[in-house]
Amino acid sequence: MHNHHFQDPTAPHYMFQDDPYLTPRTSAEFKLYSLSQESGRMAANHIVNKNPKFFQKDFAEPHIPCLMPETMELCIEEVSEAALLERIMLRKVKAAVDMYDQLLQAGTTVSPDASNDLLDLICLYGDRDPVQDDKPEAEDVAQEVQEEGRRRKGRLRRASDLVRIVWRENNNAERIFNLLPERDTRAYSALIRGMVKYGAHVKAFNTYTDMLNNRLTADVHTFNALISAAPEVRERYTEKWDLIVDLLNQMNEQKVKPNLLTFNALLKALRRCGSLARAQSLHTLSEMKAMGIAPSLASFDHVLGIFYKAASPSQGQTDILQEVMTEVAGRTFVAQDPDDVNFFSSAMRICLDTKDIEAAYKVHDLLRVGENWRMLGDSFQQSIYYGRMFNLLCMMEHIDVVLKWYKELIPSLYYPNPQGMRDLLQALDTDNRLDMIPQIWKDIRRMGHDNKSDLVDELLSLMARDKHSPEIQESFAVCALDVKSLYEQGQGARMALEWTATAMTNITSVLLAAQKKQQAWDMLKLFKTKNRVPSEELMEEFLASIKSSNDPQHAMELVQISASFCLPSTPKLAERVLQAFELSEEQKTILSELEVSTEVSE
Amino acid sequence: MAASLSCRGVKLSIALARVGTSICVNSGTRTLHVTAICCKNRAARIRVGKGDRPLTYEQALHPHHIGHRKGWLSQHTGNLQGEGGASDRTVEDMFVRRFIFGTFHNCLANEVVIKRRGNMLVVCALMLQKLPPQKLYFLIGYTETLLSHFYKCPVKMEVQTLADKAVYKYL
Repeated sequence: MHNHHFQDPTAPHYMFQDDPYLTPRTSAEFKLYSLSQESGRMAANHIVNKNPKFFQKDFAEPHIPCLMPETMELCIEEVSEAALLERIMLRKVKAAVDMYDQLLQAGTTVSPDASNDLLDLICLYGDRDPVQDDKPEAEDVAQEVQEEGRRRKGRLRRASDLVRIVWRENNNAERIFNLLPERDTRAYSALIRGMVKYGAHVKAFNTYTDMLNNRLTADVHTFNALISAAPEVRERYTEKWDLIVDLLNQMNEQKVKPNLLTFNALLKALRRCGSLARAQSLHTLSEMKAMGIAPSLASFDHVLGIFYKAASPSQGQTDILQEVMTEVAGRTFVAQDPDDVNFFSSAMRICLDTKDIEAAYKVHDLLRVGENWRMLGDSFQQSIYYGRMFNLLCMMEHIDVVLKWYKELIPSLYYPNPQGMRDLLQALDTDNRLDMIPQIWKDIRRMGHDNKSDLVDELLSLMARDKHSPEIQESFAVCALDVKSLYEQGQGARMALEWTATAMTNITSVLLAAQKKQQAWDMLKLFKTKNRVPSEELMEEFLASIKSSNDPQHAMELVQISASFCLPSTPKLAERVLQAFELSEEQKTILSELEVSTEVSE
Repeated sequence: MAASLSCRGVKLSIALARVGTSICVNSGTRTLHVTAICCKNRAARIRVGKGDRPLTYEQALHPHHIGHRKGWLSQHTGNLQGEGGASDRTVEDMFVRRFIFGTFHNCLANEVVIKRRGNMLVVCALMLQKLPPQKLYFLIGYTETLLSHFYKCPVKMEVQTLADKAVYKYL
């Protein structure tokens, strides 16, 4: 069903060693092991680059450049253009700016190419040195970054989201730009794109007007940046769209041909243009076809985003998803736009919202065409995609199909979260396959979700709810005892779960149903020690089981325990025990006391 | 080459020698016979001791069993007819073994097996579960990259773990 050329459902991911001790069992372990392997590689690279003299001997035929040590340190010290170019190549922003200033002070003219390269560098990195992997950040930089990070609210998914560089006032880019003797298209382009990248949208438009006043034509990259910045500088939907149309007209006048990224920026901007987006996006797609530019996955992602707004699920019925899937079926895609990786998870989200399992299968089939699996993105994106898909399957499909997919996906491709496991339990319940619960419990333990009390509670209540055949009850009892051990002591460094009355009740009922009387009796005693009150149904079940084994002593104890908890059903229990069992005189008196005393107290 | 020394009866021997006979009458002589030294073979052998020393299968079998009961620890084509570079491969192997021994300190359960497939160097190691897996992965990534840069060829590690060393017998 799922024959990726690299995927074997029983094997770990190819980057791990094939050994049970070294295979990750939860998503946290997956991340930990892959990151530690990566950091080992970076440590080795650091050592190689710091001691290049040991690695210079080159006996590879033909020469392999990536296995030679890289020069990370600056060699040229004197003030010259070569030094400037070296710093630009090594991506040392501050050093390059200093060198440029020194050159200007010394009076030497810097060639326009070098100055443009420098401007490109500054605008690309936002006038900050890019974070080097082997150097700790300088103190002041880290502080600034932290302040800006705190100002940003919202979901921070990656560490890079914390570091939000903002285009500062009077930074080096603008200063050097003003110092340039002649400013050509390339310089303006670099400045505008830098401004858009780091959030100075209004400034970007001002610089563009500046550029037009100087009678220069912009290039396609500048226009792409401006189109993506347009929704930020206008408030109303119509104004945004008018600005974009204006830009497109100017593009036409300046005879600049749009490329794929232009159209993608257009569609992305349309997502923020409200109601007029739908018609315009379809126009855009036909324009693309007319110009012979094939849409990439990002284009389709934006179109889907326009037609299926998450907040308004049924705003106008649309089957754009079906049309998109027919369009892309069987085609291979390559990464052309950074937003391409969002396509699969958004498509699956739409399938989940519209509960369309056929479309989900089509989306999944697209993954199997050629190299499209690369477009799934990093492991976080993958987990979102598979999570949604599994959720949809549990809701819509028969349990046999669900279990087949479960074996395929888990754990080789996806580590479900507790919600995913609850969906699976729900599906088992719907199709009456509760006998699979002990196996699922083993999987839950392996994945490390056995410390989530609501998941464990749901599992126990499903086991305790109905009557099953003896073998199943037996397996349930074994499972329940396993769960019980978790409550009693934690595993290793983890805390034990807190006992709840429902959990204890359920475990006891399961044990009773499997005729494990002694363990059930121990559980009853545990109620007292843990200060939880058993339910009346539980007492009834106990009574029934004791009757079947005809044990008057236990019956006595049962009534006494019930009295000690001050359960309202105690007198009825006492009465039934008196009638049903052969008791000694002493026992009879005790019981009648209990019968009476509780009546009196009411 | 035999030399004989006698303490007494020199005159008698000399007299007999003049006659031309080689009759040696051992009347109260003592001789010392010395031959060339032929030492016992000690290569890669652990001698029988008290019985408390655990040995792995690799250590327990002697080198003359290689090819019969043991396999080779290092596999390359340098020793085939008409192929060269055997000595270079051996020196590389020694370096790799010492490197792995030092990097995975106290974790190796057995000797490292080195295989060469095409351009690639595959280092197969059997480790003990002494380090937590993330530290083991750190060292594996580090070793692979460092050795790749050193030998200018792709180096891969295939690691299997054991709880304890696999004891074959006690000597």
